[in-house]
Amino acid sequence: MEGITKQFGTVVALDNVSLNVRKGSIHAVVGENGAGKTTLMKILYGAYPATTGRYSVNSKSQRFKNSAEAISAGIGMVSQHYSIIAELTCLENLMLGSEPGWMISKTPAIQRANDLAKQMGFQFDWEASAATLSPAGAQKLEILKLLWRNSQIMILDEPTAMLTPQDSDALFASLKMLVDRGATVIVVTHRLPEVIEHCDHVTVLRGGKLVADEPVNESEANLASRLAELIVGHAVTMPEPRVANLGESILVVRDVMVKGSRGDDAVKRANFELRAGEIVGVAGVDGSGQRELFAALYGTTPIAAGKIEFHGASIPATPRERLQAEIRWIPEDRHAQAVIEEWRLDENAALGQQRQTPYSDGARVNRTGRKEAAEQIAAKFKTKFGKISDPIASLSGGNQQRFVNARALYASPKLILAFQPARGLDIEATRAFYEELSSAVTAGATALVVSFDLDELLQYTDRILVMNRGELYDAGQTRDRLDIGKLMVGAA
Amino acid sequence: MNWRLTFLIVGCLAAIWALLSIGGFPVATVFKDMVFGSFGNVKIFSKTLREVAPLLIAGTAVFVGLRAGLFNIGVEGQYTVGALACAAVAVWIPGPVGIVLGTICGMIVGALWAFPAAWIKAYRNGHEVITTIMLNNIATFATTALVAGPLKDPASDNTSTASIPMMLPSLTKKPEITIALMVGVTLVTLLWYWIKRTVAGYELEAVGANPSAAEMAGIAVRRVTISAMLASGAIAGLAGALQVLVVEGRFYKDFAQGYGFDSLGVALLAGGNPLGLIPSAFAFGAIKKGASFITVEHGVPKGMTLIILGFSIVVFAAMRYRKQAMRVSQ
Repeated sequence: MEGITKQFGTVVALDNVSLNVRKGSIHAVVGENGAGKTTLMKILYGAYPATTGRYSVNSKSQRFKNSAEAISAGIGMVSQHYSIIAELTCLENLMLGSEPGWMISKTPAIQRANDLAKQMGFQFDWEASAATLSPAGAQKLEILKLLWRNSQIMILDEPTAMLTPQDSDALFASLKMLVDRGATVIVVTHRLPEVIEHCDHVTVLRGGKLVADEPVNESEANLASRLAELIVGHAVTMPEPRVANLGESILVVRDVMVKGSRGDDAVKRANFELRAGEIVGVAGVDGSGQRELFAALYGTTPIAAGKIEFHGASIPATPRERLQAEIRWIPEDRHAQAVIEEWRLDENAALGQQRQTPYSDGARVNRTGRKEAAEQIAAKFKTKFGKISDPIASLSGGNQQRFVNARALYASPKLILAFQPARGLDIEATRAFYEELSSAVTAGATALVVSFDLDELLQYTDRILVMNRGELYDAGQTRDRLDIGKLMVGAA
Repeated sequence: MNWRLTFLIVGCLAAIWALLSIGGFPVATVFKDMVFGSFGNVKIFSKTLREVAPLLIAGTAVFVGLRAGLFNIGVEGQYTVGALACAAVAVWIPGPVGIVLGTICGMIVGALWAFPAAWIKAYRNGHEVITTIMLNNIATFATTALVAGPLKDPASDNTSTASIPMMLPSLTKKPEITIALMVGVTLVTLLWYWIKRTVAGYELEAVGANPSAAEMAGIAVRRVTISAMLASGAIAGLAGALQVLVVEGRFYKDFAQGYGFDSLGVALLAGGNPLGLIPSAFAFGAIKKGASFITVEHGVPKGMTLIILGFSIVVFAAMRYRKQAMRVSQ
């Protein structure tokens, strides 16, 4: 790709960017939110036309009018939000958009599906509903979809955003295998360790401009911090280790059991206490019961046994009462649970606090108060937006997450429940979030954070609880990655 | 106005033109009379306004449901039972008391008719489109049975109730503005205020736009769903009741005449803003009136006028949703 420029209205998303990917390599494209990574990839994938510039694939100049043309030229893309349709079976998802004919005969299709899976060392129950797939399973299926379409160039946008460290490593091992067989992989990411460990070449974008393009030299001593500097444009200071100054007990969870959606014991026994002044992390492989534990804490799922106490008394029953009691949450699924996409920023700011000041007087909406609050919320993490009256869908994913995070920290909450709050955030934004979370707990709140990124928890939380198959263990002050990793898989 | 929309309008006009020519009608005169039939003079315009009122109120009923994410196809049935309840009460208790009580009963019965669908949706996740269609059929046959039996006017051969002794007067004469139209406009204005300015309206729209996000925001989704469906049914019942009190003066078999179904189009064309219901109901009413005029005047078959109505809706919808699509794509 050469001299690619892309304008959306007056905004220049890409400014004269060139990208040269060698066949048979894993090429990383890194940069902050809004640096233009995804836009560049979507141009290559035919989803947008470039304003100026040209690109060629296998030395053949191309100008894709749509993704179908890109796909037939051997390019495939897995976007950040998987396009797996839960209502279909795994096999139907695999074939979606490139069915072998107008009549589908299952046996040869399953045969081919199994062959592809075997090549990659994956295993799928093809007749099973795709709804049963874990995020890692969905990611694998997405990769097989590309193989099904005979893609030679595979673009993966933030492929590890929802994966555990183990799953991420496994993913890159699979990618390596594909590359060894002659495929080419472009990975859009903001996780530098995986760039250094697994990628051959790295391109850094900042503010729509190309700032670096170099082979990855694993032996270089300060590669990570140098790349981080290139990405943000200035030296990155890591936060001082926090010293938790513990205050009163805020949340006590005793012998809590929660049923999963299929009637299983999703949380078998949870016992812990959160005190003012601390940030507590919950580590664990995805699907270990974190979701159900949090649903019980939000009040959206009843507990089957046990007791939850908040400030020494039984916790209020409904989500509404809990929100009124200054409990805030950052839900896992931004699109489905945290925002209403077609609504304006100020309307989304009120979501969850709609009956409280400054958003309303309990009955009537206070539009001025709501607008001011929304502006403060947007300013907290420097959310990039046009107007406060724009729909939140017009913001990039990372900026939506900033807005949701800031909303949860607005107006001195007492307890913050955060499920993957750094999802889609870059280094700088993640650090800014935890700094603000830290000042909130220093001011007397407490926080419980679920993340599938163990490094994030080790870096920013005071102590870590580990979940494995519904059991909750206290890892205490341990900072040892391996010890916690063992608890995560139940090997301790 | 872009070329695609222009093309659509020209295409629709051409198709109507072709159909009318094939039917052997004087096309230019028919077009002219269609406009004349809805706006020709004060008397005709008054009739158009009469047509607008039930469409506006029933459209509001559909709209309330839509904002909460419910597609209430049952407005036709709720309108029917509301009208019968009102007529029965107004025949039984003559005078203003009967009118007021009849209106209230119409609303209550309309809401009750929506209740099964509301409950099934909230607690069993049964789709309201299916359940309300079923309830429509029950409403049609049950009311027919009632006006053929216990509620039939013994002095008449028609399957209808007796005429009510007192109807609601008009507010003005030239053009005639009925109480029903005024109620409709007031209702729409109140609804606008309620949705845009109150927390309850905010919560209703949250449930309609994203129920899981609404639940996470502490909103009692089931309660809102049931309330919205009941409100929708009550407003549909009100539309039926006012049609009895203002226009018909009695209830007869097949009373609804498709107003409930036309109101689906009215609400969909209104888009997201309640105030949009007013022009939308007006457009529907005018086209319906003009179409029925050319049927009378030129003998254009009913089917043909339905085709004209359909084309007009396609054009309006294209204009309305094009704006929305442009906003989304930005």
